[in-house]
Amino acid sequence: MKQDFIKFPLHLIFHPIDAFWDLKSDNRGRLLVAFAALALTIVMMILQKQYAGFLVNYIDPRTINSIIEIATVAVPFFLWCTANWAVTTLMEGEGKFREIVLATGYSLIPIILIYAPMILISRFMVQEETAFYYLFNSIAFFWFVLLLFIGMMTVHQYTVIRTIITMVLTLIVMGIIVFLGALVFSMLQQLYEFGYNIYRELIFRT
Amino acid sequence: MARTVKRWLVLLAAVSLLLVNAVPAAASPAPYESYNYNYWKEAVPSPDAYLPERTISGRDLGISEFKDPGDVNVSPSGLIYILDSGNSRIVVLDPGFKLLRVIDGFMMEGTTETFNLPGGLFVDEEERIYVADTGNSRVVVLDGEGTLIQTITKPESDILSTQFQFQPLKLTVDHVGRVYVVAQGVYEGIMQFDESGKFIGYVGTNKVERDYGEYIWRMLSTKAQRAQMVLFVPTEFSNADIDHKGFVYATNIDPGSNEPIKRLNPSGEDVLKRFGYYDVKGDIRFRNNPGPSKLIDVKVLGDGMYSVLDATQNRVFTYDDEGHLLYIYGGKGNQVGTLKTPVAIEQSGEHHLVLDRGKNNLVVYEPTRFGARVNEAVALHYRGEDTEAVNIWREVLKLNANYDIAYIGIGKSLLMEKKNEEALGYFELGMDRKSYSVAFKRHRREMMKEHFGTFLTAAIALIVILILTRVAVKWRRRRQVDREAGFH
Repeated sequence: MKQDFIKFPLHLIFHPIDAFWDLKSDNRGRLLVAFAALALTIVMMILQKQYAGFLVNYIDPRTINSIIEIATVAVPFFLWCTANWAVTTLMEGEGKFREIVLATGYSLIPIILIYAPMILISRFMVQEETAFYYLFNSIAFFWFVLLLFIGMMTVHQYTVIRTIITMVLTLIVMGIIVFLGALVFSMLQQLYEFGYNIYRELIFRT
Repeated sequence: MARTVKRWLVLLAAVSLLLVNAVPAAASPAPYESYNYNYWKEAVPSPDAYLPERTISGRDLGISEFKDPGDVNVSPSGLIYILDSGNSRIVVLDPGFKLLRVIDGFMMEGTTETFNLPGGLFVDEEERIYVADTGNSRVVVLDGEGTLIQTITKPESDILSTQFQFQPLKLTVDHVGRVYVVAQGVYEGIMQFDESGKFIGYVGTNKVERDYGEYIWRMLSTKAQRAQMVLFVPTEFSNADIDHKGFVYATNIDPGSNEPIKRLNPSGEDVLKRFGYYDVKGDIRFRNNPGPSKLIDVKVLGDGMYSVLDATQNRVFTYDDEGHLLYIYGGKGNQVGTLKTPVAIEQSGEHHLVLDRGKNNLVVYEPTRFGARVNEAVALHYRGEDTEAVNIWREVLKLNANYDIAYIGIGKSLLMEKKNEEALGYFELGMDRKSYSVAFKRHRREMMKEHFGTFLTAAIALIVILILTRVAVKWRRRRQVDREAGFH
């Protein structure tokens, strides 16, 4: 329990190349951990907007909406996994969908680990020290990107160049999915309206 | 029974209708809606700072109606000078708005001269009247009685081209007699003349705003196309005023500019303080139509405050010396207090005067309790008497709890009295992060000093306990191992 849920994730973020390989070959990743990481990231994002110190918090409190916050993290997460799976299947990637979700989820851990103390510390910072807040937040982000990169590379057994290409392609595919989704949604809406109009016509004509 | 009830109900309905009509619908006597911008750049309702008191037209004064009046100025002694451009005359009023005299011409070299469509005037401490006589291409200097002192005509200078047309529009004069003239078609800056009327040079040029889209477009065009394009020249100034320190405040009507108000130091640099939440440029939120504010006049009110007149929405914006927007009043319309074509703003005692060319009258605005208190507090703050300002700020907050500047003002005073923790709350309400940081730094240091001993004791105790538990655990484990080995 402790091994899977605490020790291994912590080992992973410091030794990603080893650990991602263990995650794939020894089947050591747990989906529960990946989703917990996602959930905690969302919680951290919300907490940061609500509780980060006054000097670093430029959010209008009236605009904070947790539902939207959930959507802005969770939707890109699943979109990334789906798009990446779609791209790598065509590009001879060896990763299964489960492994992609695991790698992406585990990569979010540094964000949680850095955001949590920074939210607390930011409440005791003065203007000159806020630079550290922004520095650590950027470190969290770059760490996440690095882990995601190594994760993708290990899971799919790619070269560096190929990983970069697939990651860029994944982003493009994410855009295409959103576009198609919007298209389908708008068509469905029109279809519904069409059906509803016919129904109304029939009702009032008889 | 049912009938009685019905009758009563009808009666009740009638009475309620009457009562509804008895209470006036609008609580504010102003014909405009006052507002101010909050930290999030939203226009939020605010109490009226100034209310129209009366209007003054030519008929009210017992003379013929004004015709396209161009400028108004109040001399340091309190006399009000109205430049009635269409009638080529200057109307002089006393501080109580009674007619003193009318100047409609002056004697020059034995002949009677008149003005020709004069655009602006200024009166200095010695009651000398400076008139920008636009149509006659000269500046006329008269004494208080209307006798000519001198004229400033087209300057002779190497830096002026031979085709140069000298058409002064507005002017202002500093206390040593230097004349600053805003002239038509002159985009090099404000023309500066010395007390004898000699041209010194230009001060304060408006910079051309770079438009990168236009720049790229220009690179892609052919030479012939480029020749057809408009030139990018700096905009002209629209008006000027001077404060008691001799700094010239100038406005321009460049719609794209974020710095339409400038405070020029003697070497012509812009030294206006812009420490507010947003640019000092009138309305900061507007739809494309009617567009950004077009500032056509500026009046230095004293104690660092200045008002600017916006010709887009016919409103007056007042700022303090740090660039905080204090209040907004005025608006478009035909009632008393709303404006048709405002051209000039002035201050006479507590009153603000706005000259309306469209309605040919002078509108007198009177400060409300809110406006007067704000002015008072800003003045005290400007003079460094923050402790006295606090009580007035508190009163302002009772009248308008959304007044961020008041929170900041109280916070700064508390900071001065070393009440850092209390100041924090006020700075947070006023969204002043810089002052908050200062207050927090002091508060943090205080807390550290006070609690450092406790903190250190706790830390040492914790470390000792940790070591002891470690030792105990180790000792116990060894004992167990020993026991298993059969030593005990």
